Parts: sequence; structure tokens; C-alpha cells
Amino acid sequence: MHLPDGIVPVEMALAGYACTAGLVAVALHRIKARPDPQAEIPRVAMLTTVFFAASLVAVPVPPTTVHLMLAGLMGVMLGWFAVPAIMVGLFLQAMLFGHGGLTTLGLNGMILCLPALLAFGLWRQIGGRWPDLAAFGAGAGAVVVAVAIFATIVLTGLPAELDARAERAAVQVFALAHLPLALAEGVIVLVLLRVLRRIEPRLLPHG
Amino acid sequence: MAETSPRARLILALVLAFGFAAVQGLAVLPLVMALALGVVLAFGAGRVVLRRMRAPLLLVLGLTLVLPLISGPTVLAQIGPVALRLEGLQAAALIAGRLLSIVAVTLALLATLSPFDLVAGLRALRVPALMTDLALLTLRYLDEVTAELRRAAVARSLRGGKRGWRALPDHALGLASSLIRAQARSERLWAAMRLRGYGMGPEPDAPPLQNFERLAITGAVIVALGVIWLDRIL
Repeated sequence: MHLPDGIVPVEMALAGYACTAGLVAVALHRIKARPDPQAEIPRVAMLTTVFFAASLVAVPVPPTTVHLMLAGLMGVMLGWFAVPAIMVGLFLQAMLFGHGGLTTLGLNGMILCLPALLAFGLWRQIGGRWPDLAAFGAGAGAVVVAVAIFATIVLTGLPAELDARAERAAVQVFALAHLPLALAEGVIVLVLLRVLRRIEPRLLPHG
Repeated sequence: MAETSPRARLILALVLAFGFAAVQGLAVLPLVMALALGVVLAFGAGRVVLRRMRAPLLLVLGLTLVLPLISGPTVLAQIGPVALRLEGLQAAALIAGRLLSIVAVTLALLATLSPFDLVAGLRALRVPALMTDLALLTLRYLDEVTAELRRAAVARSLRGGKRGWRALPDHALGLASSLIRAQARSERLWAAMRLRGYGMGPEPDAPPLQNFERLAITGAVIVALGVIWLDRIL
């Protein structure tokens, strides 16, 4: 779910850059306050590589196949590191695979970083007491929030002379089409975090 | 133009892309597309651009098929319940023209660089080291991890794995084992990075921009501003 170049007005694209730059600055500030942030870079990079590669592989979710977003899982596993990791992933996707765009990098960053941080917050708040609920909520909720941000940007950004009713209908269809993805990501994050909690709890240092 | 540094290419791409994205009317669109074509030819990137244009072209095709049929009150032609509408046609042309021009310029300037030069360009633009290091390490292991995930998917299907929704837990388990392997790999990697002296000294400064690069960037700024000015007055 990436906004391509040329869809939204340039003012909105610039605002997206400004907001994402602010978010990255806050995330980097939080990361630098950690005891040894440099030592975490290889771990974050390796996990980012897995998330990036996994999002390129199509997963069958009947009646179609989908590409996982994994923003919620990144939030849970990487915490504040999810923000720079997502921005790096988006930049590489735009340059290497033509997904997304250069001018919409900031907006696409907001679409994925905010849900990741919300998932991180949710996991921290209730992950200890109700881990399965938190895991499902983080996975599915991140998709729902990302779709909501995407739809808001598209509805606000499309030319005013277009038929508002048709626009809204198209966005509603788009949102409904993402419900199976939300459920699939919820299930995947739930199962995955159950396994990691049991086998390799070190992978959840931000929980 | 092949010797243009990655940093200068990134600046050129950003300036031209945002200049083209600011176009709001159809009158300037042919000029914008001609400029994009000029950049593609100047950097000798015709083949690369054509090869990587598939996804944007599909998107443009979708837009040009859907928007003219659903948007706007002015009906140009009607066949049964299907009406071709002027406003939708204009919006589709504007979005498609901007999208293709920006993608062509971005690809011509940046897709011809190796991923490692691209990251070097980001570093020279003072993007935080944490992010450029992340990008380098991600690029270094991306092929390996992608192949690993694909092998796991093939193995699952050969074992007669479940299909549809019931296969999701299996996907989750495959992903979990990749993450566990990644954690182990990262520990070895961190040890190797420390042995090589990672983070011990300051990063060397990027060389200054050359005169022809400064000239090209100034030219791009003038072109972008000129396009926006023409768009507003026409």
C-alpha cells in the first residue's frame, strides 16, 4: 500500500516530508538515549531485511494473494527503531522496485510509521497481561490504521473537481478489500509472537 | 553526465520531481514530459527506465480506464450506461503525466546507480549514519534472506502444506524461524563489525560538488521554478 508519485498535490507531499522528518528526529533522539544504540544496528538491520523480504513474498489469502505489510510486527519487535527501518525500507522499495515514489516518501512513511508506533504502544501497554490480544491487535490494528491514513490522504489529495461520491465509494471498496489482509496479519503476528515468546524472547526487547 | 556523483543525482532528482509534482494544469504537461525525456536521454538511461516502468504503467492504465468513467459532470460520449466524462479524463491525464515524468526522472538519475552508490549519496547528504548503515546492511543480506524465505515456502508446499487461511500459522512459523536465524546472524555480524573497528573514528567527509554538478543543480532549480511559473500563468 504505497502512494505513487503525482497522485497528491505537492503541498501535501512536502507536508508529508516535514511530518516524517519530525517523526524520524524523535525516533533517533529516543534511540540515542538507549545504552549502546550502535550495538543494536546489526540486529535491527537483520530483522528489517527479513521484514522487507517477507513483504515481497506473496501470501495466499483467499480469494487472492497479498503482500504482508508487517508494520505492526516491526513496531512490536523494533520499537522506536521501526521508524528509521521503515523509512530505509520505503526508500529502497521506491528505488529498487518502483513501489511508492520519491515525492511521496514522506507520506508513505507516515502511513506505515504511525501504525508501527501505535502497535509498539499497544504491545507495551497490554502485551505483558494479554499477549495474544495485544499481538492480534498490533498486527490487524496496524493494517486498519494504515488503510485509514492512506484513505484520508487520497480523499484529501485527489482533485476537487472529481465526483466526491465516486471517490468515497472507491476508497470504501479499497478499505473493505484490505480487511482480509488485516485479519491475516493479526493471525500471523499472534502465532509468531507466541513462538518467539517461547523460543527466543530476546527478540522482543521492546515488549 | 555519467560521472555525476550520487549526491548530485539525488539533489537533481528531488528538485525535478517536486517541480513536476507541483504542476496543476494540462497546458504545461507536454513540456514536463519532454523535459523528463530529455533527462532520460542525457543520462543514457532509456533501457533502464523502460524496464522498470511496468508497475507505473499499469497504475496509469488503471487510472485512465477508471477515472474518465466515474468522475465529473460533463459527459463527452455515452454508450449505454457507460459515460466518458471530461473532468475524469483531465484528472487522469494530469496524474498520469506527472507520475510518468517523475518516475522517468527518478529512474534515469538513480536507478542507474548501484545500491551502494545510492547509500553513499544519502550519506553525503548527511542522512543520519544509523539509517545509512541500516540501508547498507539490509541491501547486503536482502537477496540471501529473500532466497531463504522462498526456499522455505517451496519446502512447505512440497511437504503438502495447508492452503488458504489455514496456511497462515505455517507462514508465521516460517517467518519466526527466519527472524531467529537473523538474530543469530546479527550477533556474528556485530562481532565482525567491532573487529573491523566500526564506529571507532569519524566518517570521512564527502568530496565537494564539482562545478558542473553545481551548474546542473542550479539549472534544475531554474527549470523546476520555470515549470511552476508557466503552470500558474497559462
